[in-house]
Amino acid sequence: MPLSSDDYTQKLITLLEDFTQDWDHDYRGAMQRDTRLFADLAFESIDIIQLVVAIQEEVLRAKAPFEKLLMREGRYVDDLSIGQIADFLAVQAAG
Amino acid sequence: MTTTLFIGLDGCTYTVLDQMTRELPGEGLTMPFMKSLMERGVRAKLRSTPNPLTPPAWTSIMTGKGPGEHGVFDFIRAEDHGGEVYWTLYDARDIDSEIIWAILSRKGKSVAALNFPLTAPAPEDLKGSIVPGFIPAKHLRRNTHPRELFERIKQQIPGFDPKELAWDFDKEKQAMESLSADETAKWVRYHLPREEQWFKVAEFILKNDRPDVMAVMFDGTDKIQHQAWPWLDAALLKAEPTEHDREMRAVCLEYFRNLDGYIEKLVTLAGPEAQVFFASDHGFTASTFVLRINAYLAEKGYLKWAENDGSEQAIRREASDFANLDWAQTTAYCRTPSSNGIHIRVAAKPGDPGIQPKDYESFRERLIADLLALRDPDSGEPVIVDVLKREDWFPGQHMNRACDLTLVLRDHGFVSIRNLTPAVAQRPQAIGTHHPDGIFMAVGPGIPAAGMVGLRQIVDVAPTLLYSAGLPVPADFEGAAAESFFTAEQLTARPPKKGARTRVTERRQLGQEMDAGEKKQIIEQLQMLGYME
Repeated sequence: MPLSSDDYTQKLITLLEDFTQDWDHDYRGAMQRDTRLFADLAFESIDIIQLVVAIQEEVLRAKAPFEKLLMREGRYVDDLSIGQIADFLAVQAAG
Repeated sequence: MTTTLFIGLDGCTYTVLDQMTRELPGEGLTMPFMKSLMERGVRAKLRSTPNPLTPPAWTSIMTGKGPGEHGVFDFIRAEDHGGEVYWTLYDARDIDSEIIWAILSRKGKSVAALNFPLTAPAPEDLKGSIVPGFIPAKHLRRNTHPRELFERIKQQIPGFDPKELAWDFDKEKQAMESLSADETAKWVRYHLPREEQWFKVAEFILKNDRPDVMAVMFDGTDKIQHQAWPWLDAALLKAEPTEHDREMRAVCLEYFRNLDGYIEKLVTLAGPEAQVFFASDHGFTASTFVLRINAYLAEKGYLKWAENDGSEQAIRREASDFANLDWAQTTAYCRTPSSNGIHIRVAAKPGDPGIQPKDYESFRERLIADLLALRDPDSGEPVIVDVLKREDWFPGQHMNRACDLTLVLRDHGFVSIRNLTPAVAQRPQAIGTHHPDGIFMAVGPGIPAAGMVGLRQIVDVAPTLLYSAGLPVPADFEGAAAESFFTAEQLTARPPKKGARTRVTERRQLGQEMDAGEKKQIIEQLQMLGYME
């Protein structure tokens, strides 16, 4: 049975806690669905590349069309929440 | 016991090394240990990949195959979807060949590979240590293999600082830009502690883990040569140097003096039984002019620039190192400065932008003629001295990823893709650029004091290292072990042998299975490096 968005949210939080454990950011609360990568976790653009690799390697164990998540109407999105990524992964898994 | 020590020196060239290993008036001998190694060993020029560039060239060193086979051509990989071109960075998963670290591990040899590009993510089952190069500090821990190695390094190496050691994209980008005098000196100084950090990691692993094959790459050589070439090439040194010239020369010599010290300590640690090899991915020379290739292609009607509405985003996009074009009206263009190549846009289906497939040959011949016709407005000399067709220079399973045409400029420089005129302009001062001929050297037991021998190819490095480690050379390697690097006694006692073909990695097999039917490539970049909106 494919994983749900909530399942992916938990997996992403685990991944992101490890991902950012020694980063210099001010976010102090527990990560949640609405935690944003750029605004809350101090992501820079290069970090997105590394996160996509980590999701493919450790969460999906496969590649996925991340352009559908990262681009809207021909432009790159400004920020992403954990929930948005989880929703995207759930759609891919169901897909 | 460490049998093979491989020290990579990114961009190292005999033009500089020969100076550093002899007494110079007023400067003395900068690299006495390297001098002693060169006197006791063998060396050759090493011909790089057709576009002598870090990612394809180091990948050839690590795979024994050319870019057409291993599939890595540039820092940046582009997917042309007709209406739009998407950009992504190459990583280890794009290497479509088994790397020697994996081959050695599979054959029961322990291995450590430090600071080589495109080694992350590491092969999962690799028995050994990989600390990848070209990875930002924030991601070094997760990309170090095995993961616990990073903690060992962090806890046990006094003064270890990943921020000093790791790739900083903003700083690296400066390598291709013109810097002020002050910034140039800072640029060179920035690499002094970086190399010290990599040396400490190498020393730690060599001392504690004693891998059978130890490999470390120092890349400051390339980085400082880009910006400090006028103070490194003896032919360009001023007869009456300014204070800044003296400062630059001094800091360059300090870099090479330090490097000599690191090499001495590593060679000593490896022990007298180890065979020691050095290689660079390409050489270096002076670039004296700029070719704005897309501006020239625009003049000739092959491309049209994207609309610039004057917004901050548009300005930033246009100033980036990714071609920003009106894709509907572009038939040939250069994607990135580092590619030094031209892509021809062929319509995938009727109505798509680009030329018709049936017109490809005639279009390409006309384009080649236009490229070779370009002359330096000052000297009248040709700007482009050779145009390489991909089927001739990048044969293999990934030939179609190569540029349709690769350019060789008169000064070996990299093109600019900026929307500026004139198309050809002299540089105010020479900067360093990649030359096709790098270095390949060896010293140790079983290696003759033969001095300079005949030219070797970059794909010969991997088989030479495997031979040194006592392994056969895979049958599908394109290169061969450099027999001139070994004594007749060694070759008689242990002749080089051909072995089984390389293997496809586990990860790749999984990826292909799960990718079946998926047509679109992943677009991984978001506002990459601040270049893309």
